[in-house]
Amino acid sequence: MNPQSDEFSFIINLPVRNEWRNVDLLRTSVQNCFTAVFADLDGCHAVSMVTGELLENALKYGDWRAADPATVFRLRVVGGKGKVDVSVQNPIANELGGAGKLLQTLEWIASYPSAEAAYRARMLQIAQSEDPMEPSQLGLVRIAYEGNCALRASVDGAILTITATLEL
Amino acid sequence: MDKLSAADLTIDVGPTEAGQPLRVTWLGKSADRSPATILAPWFEKLLAEAKAGATVVEMHFERLEHFNSSTITALIRLIQNARNAGVRLVMVYDQNLKWQRLSFDALRVFEKGDDLFQLKAAQP
Ligand SMILES: Nc1ncnc2c1ncn2[C@@H]1O[C@H](COP(=O)(O)OP(=O)(O)OP(=O)(O)O)[C@@H](O)[C@H]1O
Ligand SMILES: [Mg+2]
Repeated sequence: MNPQSDEFSFIINLPVRNEWRNVDLLRTSVQNCFTAVFADLDGCHAVSMVTGELLENALKYGDWRAADPATVFRLRVVGGKGKVDVSVQNPIANELGGAGKLLQTLEWIASYPSAEAAYRARMLQIAQSEDPMEPSQLGLVRIAYEGNCALRASVDGAILTITATLEL
Repeated sequence: MDKLSAADLTIDVGPTEAGQPLRVTWLGKSADRSPATILAPWFEKLLAEAKAGATVVEMHFERLEHFNSSTITALIRLIQNARNAGVRLVMVYDQNLKWQRLSFDALRVFEKGDDLFQLKAAQP
């Protein structure tokens, strides 16, 4: 990417509407914004793919039971100097498993010598699984491999933040 | 074989001609919450038809804009089911798009050196 200035930011703070179509509306907004600024279409697709996978997870695994309008979902895309951070926040609940499975997945990815090796391993596991309804669990490792991203997660009270850092 | 039309996704099927591969073209994007719900039954029909006519399925992705990871999972299951049914499956992707190159290159783990499953890089 050839940013016209070193620093850029694109921040959205949204009160959530738990509607699946919003994932793709936001994903394409990020893609369009980046396409307007940068010439590198491959990089723009990578940022938007990462955004899409993280938003899908926030909607699928967030604790959206409270109808409280103060419960918000945040998407934040910030970058500069050849890096972009995509962060998504969602509420979690212990009854729904908290952040346990997510942290396990990140450890599992890190146990491989490369994200590519982890991605291939997960694809082979999917092919061998007998149960077609088994969760696919390919999203985070796809972000790591295809987006060439470092992933980190933190929990503050009942809010989970997951951040993917892309090197452009 | 009828084409598949979902919200943002169309999968077109070319005319069946004796001795020719069945050409299947993905258009738009596949970003459903559980894409397998619509894809799996459609793939099942596609494989049954290809098996009955002893035709190769040639699936084109060059014009697909985006897919989510659950769609990739549905494709992995398609590759397995085609192999189990003895149906030859070829997937064609756009070599010039990095995301397609990365996604489809990784699927090479399912190429077994026979001609049942093949990936082809196109340069449209
Ligand atoms: N935002 C989140 N909040 C809580 N848990 C999460 C969140 N994101 C992911 N997880 C947990 O981590 C697991 C792995 O996520 P990942 O995106 O890799 O797979 P998936 O969503 O199950 O399937 P896919 O993305 O392939 O459709 C999920 O199954 C879920 O248990
Ligand atoms: Mg996911």
